[in-house]
Amino acid sequence: MSIINRRTLLKTGGTFVAGACLPLTNIRLAFADQSQDFTFAYISDSHIQHIKGTKFVRNWDQGLKRAVAEANLMSPKPDFVMYGGDLAQLGTREELDHGFEIMSALKHKTHYVMGEHDYYADLGEYWSSQVGKQYYSFDHKGVHIIVLNSILTDDHWTHERWANGTERMGVMAGLDDPRGSPFMVGAAQRKWLANDLKDISKDTPIIVFSHSPLQKLFKNWNFWTDDAELVQAILQPFDSVTVFYGHVHQIQYNQIGNITFHSVMATAWPWPYPESYAQAENHMPHLTVPINRADPFFERDATGWQYVDINSGKATVKFSLTENEPRTVSYDAKRGHPVDTKYVSRSKPPQNHY
Amino acid sequence: MRNIIQTLFLVAALSLGNTLTAQADEFTKEDLDIWQKEFMAVVAVGRTAFTDPNLGTNGVVCAQCHPNGANTHPETYPKFQKQIGRVITLPEMINWCIRNPLEGKPMALDDPKMVAMQAYITHERRNVKLAPGKH
Amino acid sequence: MMKKIFSITAIVLFFSIQTAFAEPLGLPPVPIPADNPQSKAKIALGEKLFNDPRFSSTGDVSCATCHDAAKGFADGPLKTSEGIKGLTGTRNAPTVLNAAYMKSQFWDGREPDLEGQSKGPFINPVEMGLENHEPILTLVRADRTYWKMFRKVFGLKKKEALTMDHVAKAIASFERTIISGDSPFDHYYFTNDKAAMTPAAVRGFNVFLEQGRCVSCHTVSQTHALFTDSRFHNLNVNFNSISGGVKALARRQQQDKADGVDLDVSILTDKAVAELGRFVVTGQWRDIGAFKTPTLRNVDLTAPYMHDGSIKTLEDVVDFYNNGGVVKAGDPVNSFQSGGIRPLGLSDTQKADLVAFLKMLTSPLN
Repeated sequence: MSIINRRTLLKTGGTFVAGACLPLTNIRLAFADQSQDFTFAYISDSHIQHIKGTKFVRNWDQGLKRAVAEANLMSPKPDFVMYGGDLAQLGTREELDHGFEIMSALKHKTHYVMGEHDYYADLGEYWSSQVGKQYYSFDHKGVHIIVLNSILTDDHWTHERWANGTERMGVMAGLDDPRGSPFMVGAAQRKWLANDLKDISKDTPIIVFSHSPLQKLFKNWNFWTDDAELVQAILQPFDSVTVFYGHVHQIQYNQIGNITFHSVMATAWPWPYPESYAQAENHMPHLTVPINRADPFFERDATGWQYVDINSGKATVKFSLTENEPRTVSYDAKRGHPVDTKYVSRSKPPQNHY
Repeated sequence: MRNIIQTLFLVAALSLGNTLTAQADEFTKEDLDIWQKEFMAVVAVGRTAFTDPNLGTNGVVCAQCHPNGANTHPETYPKFQKQIGRVITLPEMINWCIRNPLEGKPMALDDPKMVAMQAYITHERRNVKLAPGKH
Repeated sequence: MMKKIFSITAIVLFFSIQTAFAEPLGLPPVPIPADNPQSKAKIALGEKLFNDPRFSSTGDVSCATCHDAAKGFADGPLKTSEGIKGLTGTRNAPTVLNAAYMKSQFWDGREPDLEGQSKGPFINPVEMGLENHEPILTLVRADRTYWKMFRKVFGLKKKEALTMDHVAKAIASFERTIISGDSPFDHYYFTNDKAAMTPAAVRGFNVFLEQGRCVSCHTVSQTHALFTDSRFHNLNVNFNSISGGVKALARRQQQDKADGVDLDVSILTDKAVAELGRFVVTGQWRDIGAFKTPTLRNVDLTAPYMHDGSIKTLEDVVDFYNNGGVVKAGDPVNSFQSGGIRPLGLSDTQKADLVAFLKMLTSPLN
């Protein structure tokens, strides 16, 4: 543990201090136009799970409460908080209300992304009544920000196959349930997206938030968006695009053309990397240095949340992990893709728990 | 030289065996099919338990953290689990999970459901090399 | 007084013999740093320093004042330790017993080893109250017996060569002999003597391993049992006293630290800072309000409990955990509480059995 005094702080500049040791202070590197820099917090996948009456699964509750409490400690304050989807486990009113109540302790402006666990019980009706639109865009300090509902699927599966919403939700909630259906953004939203971007200049940095990856990584667990290529094609003409997604409960990052991809952690529980399922092929990004397999004996291991510094439209993602060393993944302009500031190659995994 | 000849014979014998799939006292296809069916029926019971919200008391299911039984690593058991403090078998770890994240009552180690869960987990992890004790 | 001296001598004798040959039943070998090998003479010197009250500003507080052999090397029934002039700090004195096995020292692990730890209390204003370490060096250089011992132990030629590091090494060497195993539990578990524990304690051990979830942090292995994971956890002990102002408090503390304010001093003189736990050392959010898991060996001798000594009896500690980290069932839990703490649903019999088991961890001290 290095002891940081003011002198070393000045010498080392911001990244080391903010990333490794003193997350209370986000000191940024000097960029050309600092007025365009900002920080936001990103909390995702809390899976608030109702048992009965007023009882909820304590472990998932605590994960979200902790993330909220930590985000409230951020200094300077983040410009906003993005919630990445799957606030609930089975999309019930009780779960969503309980989740929103925990989130209401946040002292920052909050935006939401739709997750499949929030959606498939009532096709997003209650969530929308509390949050608002399922897809939307806004501008923030020179960055165009887009939120998509990427967890839709084909109409037949959604409307024709199930006795009721509870049954439909139960199937979609099982990550490995073979009766599930691949996620998609869908034609209507793609059309909206193309239209939304029509008048945006190509040098405007774009940030997209979705719940599913907007890339095809592992179909077996729906680490997948079926029309990913079509969505990517709409985004490729822009100079700088960053996609943030939840759903996967693990650290992933990737670069496809001009598009940088970052996953975010779950506050509830971690998922194994697809490689650990011996019977199915995966297409995990070679760039990603995986986080270690979670230790089941520590309930919050490999869970957490992250805060993101946007410098000149490029993201530096800082993972605040409850039981693990913090990690920082930052866009490397020379390499043209995101890299972990400590672990640069997949051949050198940071951890190798079995 | 003699070794090489022996090896050649062995290779020849093996390839012969492969082409004809004939060995002394072979199991019949009928038997093999029956046994496989029996096994897979138990695997299915295991999968049901693995996704059963009533296995514990809080609705949490095994597959929530272990899709397709991933990250259960049955090939590493028995192994030392430091918080349990000794070398344990897979069913003991299953019981740990039932008691802790699922807040349920542990099962008897020879409970048919416990056997089925092991069948499911090991089936999902088939063809992976044994690595007892590994972490 | 006579009896106390006798008991100290007896313990030291017992443990010295043990370390010379083999560890007591149930313990792994004591880790000895390469740059501070054990020797009989060094241990004797450390013991003398440990018990000498002259290294305090008032001349009446020694290490042994708060780490009293007769009280399991702690200072019950005090909640928080009393230093010079009856001044109190913010922390319950952790036992020296088996501190040699800890991967870090102090409740917040702010020192990596016993050598580092031993230097702190001398110059803490609420412990031994010296301005700096100079008076200690002046004393041991001038005292003929001390100088003879230091010269021999460390091969020193000139008195100026005697530094605080030598003092710390000698004390640490002595502390590495204060180890305890060989309890009824050890006989039950490691030599399979089923009669070594009462039936209630045997049932309590099962609660410890299973429904009580105690073993998650107070670890046991097949060859030894230290009853600690050497990690840090927020149990929600007194955290709610600061939870209203964590942000300002944490910023102030990190700023003070950056400005060079001595951690030892701010932790022991500022109750609010003390509640930040491990965070003051690492500056990591995950460590807010987290304290090191203490050993459970001889826990029956070291009441009161928790980092602030706020829980009086083992029965109350068990209730605290059974309620999910609160004294009264239903009281609020802070957002930073460690994930493993939750209501346990233990019956009165299970709770009594668990306490019976904890009492089986007392080592025969003489």
